[in-house]
Amino acid sequence: MIILFVALPLVVAGILPLVGKVSRRVVPDLLANAALLFLLVYAAIAGRHLIAGGPVLQQLSWFGEPVAIRLALDGFSLLMLLAIALVGLAACLFSIDYMEHYGAKANYYALFLVMIAGMNGLVLATDLFNVYLFMEVAAVASYALVAFGLGRDELEAAFKYLMLSVVATAFILISVAVIFGMTGSLDFAAVAKALQELNAGAAVGVASAFFLMGFGLKAALIPFHAWLPDAHPSAPAPISAVLSGLLIKVSGVYAMTRIFLNVFGLTPALSTVLMSLGALSMVVAAFLALGQKDMKRMLAYSSISQVGYVVLGIGIGTPLGIAGGLFHLFNHALAKGLLFLTSGSVQQATGTRNLDEMGGLAKRMPITAATNLVGALSIAGVPPLNGFWSKLIIIIALVQSGHPVFAVIAVLTSVLTLWYYLLMQRKAFFGKLNEKWAAVKEAPFWMTAATVFLALLCVGIGILFSSTVTTWIQPAADVLADGVHAVIGSWGF
Amino acid sequence: MIVQTALLVGLVLFSVLAILLRDLLKSAISLAAASLFLGIIFFRMNAPYAGVFEISVVAGLITVLFILTIALTKAGDEVRESRAVNWVFPLFFVAFIIIDALVMKGLLRKIPALASGAETGTFGDVLWKGRTFDLVGQIAVILAGVFAVLALFRKGDKHD
Repeated sequence: MIILFVALPLVVAGILPLVGKVSRRVVPDLLANAALLFLLVYAAIAGRHLIAGGPVLQQLSWFGEPVAIRLALDGFSLLMLLAIALVGLAACLFSIDYMEHYGAKANYYALFLVMIAGMNGLVLATDLFNVYLFMEVAAVASYALVAFGLGRDELEAAFKYLMLSVVATAFILISVAVIFGMTGSLDFAAVAKALQELNAGAAVGVASAFFLMGFGLKAALIPFHAWLPDAHPSAPAPISAVLSGLLIKVSGVYAMTRIFLNVFGLTPALSTVLMSLGALSMVVAAFLALGQKDMKRMLAYSSISQVGYVVLGIGIGTPLGIAGGLFHLFNHALAKGLLFLTSGSVQQATGTRNLDEMGGLAKRMPITAATNLVGALSIAGVPPLNGFWSKLIIIIALVQSGHPVFAVIAVLTSVLTLWYYLLMQRKAFFGKLNEKWAAVKEAPFWMTAATVFLALLCVGIGILFSSTVTTWIQPAADVLADGVHAVIGSWGF
Repeated sequence: MIVQTALLVGLVLFSVLAILLRDLLKSAISLAAASLFLGIIFFRMNAPYAGVFEISVVAGLITVLFILTIALTKAGDEVRESRAVNWVFPLFFVAFIIIDALVMKGLLRKIPALASGAETGTFGDVLWKGRTFDLVGQIAVILAGVFAVLALFRKGDKHD
């Protein structure tokens, strides 16, 4: 019953505002977290058995009559579902304490779960229009969540995010229309088959260009990144964690790679474009992050830079490159989720995001400081944390496929990344305790628990990286490396 | 031909009204009317999928969200708009019509017509048998929209 990944969060979201009338805090906390915990257990335990014999295709029926709900679960979608459930659950646990002072908690969880349902739906979709639609579901919920604080900054950031997001979806919709006009179908398998037979290079080029602009905007690749450094820092911390950790990857990277690799088939030209865009984002955003004073803004620029790594890895197109890219996507989701949560703990304790005003917070918030360090070192690629292995795989893949220049750029950017993360760690947590923060206390239980959960995952995956790669990453990479055959061969209904 | 022209004129007329009307409520209703005309045109041109999406999503769902939001806003201070709107839009509109009349006929002749066909069936068939997963998505979008309105227009909860 893979429809549960969409239906369960939607149903719980539907009843939450009603439940919120009876119990304002405890029951909504419990319901939302239980729903996400269930999805996590389902994805982590049942998911692998489900796809053991190849991709699962589900055609739902309504009182015995088949209805047109077709879902597909393969290695790639399962990896994304797992990432969504993990980071979603951590952010949801963090919200128990963090969202206390915002009010309207039931409503917040309802929007949060609709966003999760949108992402899950996108990941399970087998059809171009469904991809667009569920992208919008997640996006509409996320606009409201960015503005949830109702402050001037939040509303402005949400508006900017909305405007650029609408441009992105317009591009995507144009491309969907072009493909539908050419092939007469929206279904992945049918479109992939028709495009193979049509041999319509120019029109596919136009559609690819529009998709690239649309998904590039969604994934915040440079030069389409302008909205992200405003939107992500303004949102409440758990939402920043989900936006940076998941949403840009699901509605940007996942949708883009699924369509480019499995439906269109990766051409050498497209591969070069993806690698160049990835490398550009990686370098430029790392330099931009270096100059930031606002902790969350630095993290936001870092997200753009790390998505660059992911796109660079997948863009290589070799099985190893794709595996490295996907592994980095997964690791970055966990580590960036963690860092946004710790930044939320710091902001709640001190009331500021300005790194220059902080200092010595490790003495007052030792667990937050330690978990922040784990996240920072993981993204910077310090062994033995998870981020090290994924970057290593990407760099080896670059060398193997004959792209030494890109490999050098990737290594140098990694040094830059370490530089700005150490700057953040030193300014915020190390050094002499700023007098102002003498009364600061460690974050409340659930906030700390959520960050410790993600930090342990970062360390654990780093140590057990080879089994993680074989069980989760390799099946996902195989689907993408299979190209159009992955869809044409086994996705026909 | 006469019906088609009338529909097209209606579409353009209500679209222009949607931009020019100052009253937000009237503007939203004009937009809904415009998309209703567009939906009918889609159906007449043998594109029921497009017609279904246009009428259900744009004319239906989005209008409801617009009206809901307008109902929740207060008619407080008069917001001063830029006077440029008054003449920039009509200028562009006239320029567009002139270019359209001069260029489009020649251009359209060069593009081969797509073979019509595959998409047939009644409104219900298309929506229920063809695009059911979209219905789930639409329900989710409606939920997101309603929760967004509830969240962004919440009163007092934060400060009480």
